[in-house]
Amino acid sequence: MMTPRNRRALVRPHVVTGGRARPSRNIFDLVTLVTAAGDLPLTGLSPEKRRIVTLCRGGALSVAEVAGHLQLPVSVTKVLLSDLVDSGHITTRAAGPESRPEELELLQEVLDGLRALL
Amino acid sequence: MEQPLLVAALAGAAIVIVVLAVVHMRQRHITERYRGQVEALLDDLRRRDEELRHLVGTRLPELRDQLDGRPVTVSKPLHEQWLTGTPFGQDVQAVLDLFTESVERARVRADRSAKVTLRSMMRTVQSLANEQQLALSDMQERHDDPEVLADLLRLDHMNAQLGRRAQATAVLCGSWPGQQRQASALSDVVRGAISRIRDYLRVQISSEVNVAVVSRAVEPVVLVLAELLDNATRHSQPNTKVDVNFQMAHNGVAIMIDDAGVAMNGEEIQRATRLLNGRESVDINRIGDPPQVGFAVAGVLSARYGFTVSVDTRSPYGGVRAVVFLPNALLTAVPTNEQEGPAVSPEPDASSAPGAAAPDPSAGQQEPAAVGATTAGGLPKRRRVSAAAPGQGPREPAAGSGAAPEARVGAEPPSRRSAAGLGAWQRGTRSGRAASVSGGAEGPSAQHEADSEGNSRS
Repeated sequence: MMTPRNRRALVRPHVVTGGRARPSRNIFDLVTLVTAAGDLPLTGLSPEKRRIVTLCRGGALSVAEVAGHLQLPVSVTKVLLSDLVDSGHITTRAAGPESRPEELELLQEVLDGLRALL
Repeated sequence: MEQPLLVAALAGAAIVIVVLAVVHMRQRHITERYRGQVEALLDDLRRRDEELRHLVGTRLPELRDQLDGRPVTVSKPLHEQWLTGTPFGQDVQAVLDLFTESVERARVRADRSAKVTLRSMMRTVQSLANEQQLALSDMQERHDDPEVLADLLRLDHMNAQLGRRAQATAVLCGSWPGQQRQASALSDVVRGAISRIRDYLRVQISSEVNVAVVSRAVEPVVLVLAELLDNATRHSQPNTKVDVNFQMAHNGVAIMIDDAGVAMNGEEIQRATRLLNGRESVDINRIGDPPQVGFAVAGVLSARYGFTVSVDTRSPYGGVRAVVFLPNALLTAVPTNEQEGPAVSPEPDASSAPGAAAPDPSAGQQEPAAVGATTAGGLPKRRRVSAAAPGQGPREPAAGSGAAPEARVGAEPPSRRSAAGLGAWQRGTRSGRAASVSGGAEGPSAQHEADSEGNSRS
């Protein structure tokens, strides 16, 4: 579904993450929700990080959604997100614990859908 | 009787003597003249021999070396004054001209065939690099393990450099840069160039600019910037930074690349300026070893696409400042799909602590949410319109249909909204799939329509 142009992105992931592949914290899965925290200035952030913070200003977004908006691999998005958590620009929360068992099927379907899309 | 006879005999003898004397005198005169002529001819012959030997032994070898690109001047004829204007002199000149011409022809022929061969080889390498990039992108999507990702990023980086090398060589061989791209923000163009060089971590972009490069110029500009950045990082200490700055002007934008390396001397600047002019064709057999292709590539591409590159100023750090000037004709507004804005409208209590409200068990219940735009990849985007950000969605109809549910959604607790968001996500996925199955052949715009329609209805 993803067009070749997206996979042939101009800015390669190693530049997006500054060559890092390991998130500074291991707290993210596909449905972890992230929200912008406060109004920290965006100066000094890379365009992708700035975009994430702006996206998350409106409310909680899942990691998968952020990755979809940025057209970046989820693993790369996690590196950026954990940087932003470190710098205090965003906060995270796990998807609601009660909804998890019931929604397992839904989440699986979201995951499948994502895989089909990406 | 004897007396007159004697007189007559004497007179006769005298006459004979006089005649003989005259004849002898004339003879001597003639001989003298002929001797002079013979000497002149012998002198001519000697000069010709000398001139010919000089031509074969000295002048032609010198001409050969000169045509080979060595700093040699062809010496003058030995007897220049004697030679000028004579048929022999003209013939000597004709030999030199013919020699020059045949060498030049052979060189052009060799250059052309080398370029053709190299171009087709590079095309293969380029397409392999492209294929590999696609494969790597796929793997990056698939693998979540940081160890694997680290390896994939390294491979991606190396592949980007490989592709750049092949592309630059192909350009020198008269090929086009290939790869159609969308119009892209200038900062992304620069970062695209940074992606393709070895020391990418040493480059920093120090200023911002809100302008994009038109689609046809993206790839050439990326390639030129990559070559200049590569030069800058290669010719400066590994512990120094390479600085990229933008300067808007009334007729375009200048991109300045400053390194803290060694400045170029006058001769190097002259060579660079000559190559950057892009007027003379590049001799593929003379790019040196290691190949110095950067300026040549920049010259060819800037001449072809109508921008300018110069390297004749010093950077503030004592190194070289390379300036790429893009005229307004190659610039455009930043594409709307890159405009920043929140994915969802701000909550009334956006600053409240996350997780304050317990998740609602009925979260899965379908909530009318305006899902309007899709990403370029076909992913549905939730983009609700609020008073704070009116008309930020790229599509007006979607914004309109989103206005009504917005009031209700905004009043709900955050957890419920996020759950509704997940529901919307799932619906988007379903309709996206359905659209891709039913309208696979319709092209992206038709699919886009189908997506947004399906979403706003549910």
